[in-house]
Amino acid sequence: MAAQKRTTSGVFVVLAILGIAFVTLPLAGLIQRTPWSRAADVLTSDSSLTALRLSIVVATSAAVLSLVLGFPMAWALSRSSFPGRRVFRALVILPLVMPPVVGGVALLAVFGRRGFLGAPLYDVLGVQLTFTTPAAVLAAAFVSFPLAVLVIEAGLRSLDARLEEAAASLGGSRWYVLRRVTLPMLAPQIAAALVLCWARALGEFGATITFAGNLQGRTQTLPLAVFERLQTDPDGAIALSLLLVALSLAVIVGLRERFLPAP
Amino acid sequence: MRRALAGMGTLVLLLVGCGGSGSERSEITVLAAASLTGAFTRIGADFEQVNPDVTVRFSFGPSDGLATQILEGAPADVFAPASPKYMDQVRSDGPGVTDQVEFARNELAVIVPSDNPAHVGSLDDLARPGVKLVLAAVGVPAGDYARGVLANAGIQKGALANLVSNEEDVKGVVQKVLLGEADAGIVYRTDVTPDIEVRVREISIPDGENVIATYPIAVIDGSGRTPVAGAFVRFVIGPGQATLRTFGFLPPA
Repeated sequence: MAAQKRTTSGVFVVLAILGIAFVTLPLAGLIQRTPWSRAADVLTSDSSLTALRLSIVVATSAAVLSLVLGFPMAWALSRSSFPGRRVFRALVILPLVMPPVVGGVALLAVFGRRGFLGAPLYDVLGVQLTFTTPAAVLAAAFVSFPLAVLVIEAGLRSLDARLEEAAASLGGSRWYVLRRVTLPMLAPQIAAALVLCWARALGEFGATITFAGNLQGRTQTLPLAVFERLQTDPDGAIALSLLLVALSLAVIVGLRERFLPAP
Repeated sequence: MRRALAGMGTLVLLLVGCGGSGSERSEITVLAAASLTGAFTRIGADFEQVNPDVTVRFSFGPSDGLATQILEGAPADVFAPASPKYMDQVRSDGPGVTDQVEFARNELAVIVPSDNPAHVGSLDDLARPGVKLVLAAVGVPAGDYARGVLANAGIQKGALANLVSNEEDVKGVVQKVLLGEADAGIVYRTDVTPDIEVRVREISIPDGENVIATYPIAVIDGSGRTPVAGAFVRFVIGPGQATLRTFGFLPPA
């Protein structure tokens, strides 16, 4: 019995080591292949800085958009019970598990020049969303929105509703209670939602290239820049990739220290 | 549970069956320019019909990206890029090539959606402000050739100011025009296939301003299946020529 237990834990240790290697080896490979002598040149090149700037603008806008749209949705999902609530919830989470390129095609079907919202927009106002920075923001928000809903909903559910009830019974209006009681208590979840959405938006690739195209300074975010460079200058692409890894790592470190429960 | 297991078992058997069906079969991998997708798929099927024990696998993509894959050691037996430049790259920086031969040429064309929202009537219209133009990226043969056309016509500056997207390969350009998102794109004439003929309009480029793309093909050194790969190359320059003509490719010079 004891021997069997030991074997089991032995197998687990081996699998755990394999798991760690599986995640860390590719990163090590990236670092090992990084052309350090050229890295500074690549990272400070015009195209890289433009892509970095655009990525920050797009990811930040997408995170804010996800939060603005996601908060009321999370509220509705956690505080009220309406028919079809579970179906709604499943639909909201769908972009999280859907292949991003499918998301891009879906966005085209709605907001494209021949899409059912995009066509009237173009015919009446002459506005075309595709190939614009707002299109890149929409693509990124589409995939990060579910994270905002999930994190905020979990936060709202764990909130002590009695505090809100007390504030309301003391004469606070709904808006006052939301502003002075609910939102302050939710601050950690709101911050976590923003950061997670930002990170997810930063890495968006498939929906962006399908729906927004790829043009420097307008829709070419860092992942698209990495992909384009990989065709002609793999070393440069690796240096750029490392920048994305560093940004993602910063997000995890930031999240860990403040919002994620420490073990 | 038991049914799920049985299902998985069947799947495993199927996979094993596919992988190990006799030791006689050989399989070659052909990396070819995206513009060859239609023609080579047909040629590959014809080649398999003549050589029943051979399976031809294709990987179509931008020639620059395919060259990078070969340099990175991707298993490949035959390479057919849309420009000799990338064959040279594989020869000088990569494993090397043998039996290189030019097998086709191609011209470029402007395509617009069939409803032609920007009223593009000629190559010069691509420089008119407000036209949303899509090209393949710089470094992709179709992208470089297209920029050559714009330079020949002397409209490079105006047209590039209209550029809204650099696509990964020429099929990406076709797709954006086909979807009606872009007003115009520059592609190979062979990209206007019967499938899409009704949904796009082709605007020809004056002969003096057009660029001729040349397609080389060769066996990649160290392929391990050199005889079959060589046979495929000979098939392309032999019986495959008729197929290439049906797809609109010009004969080699």
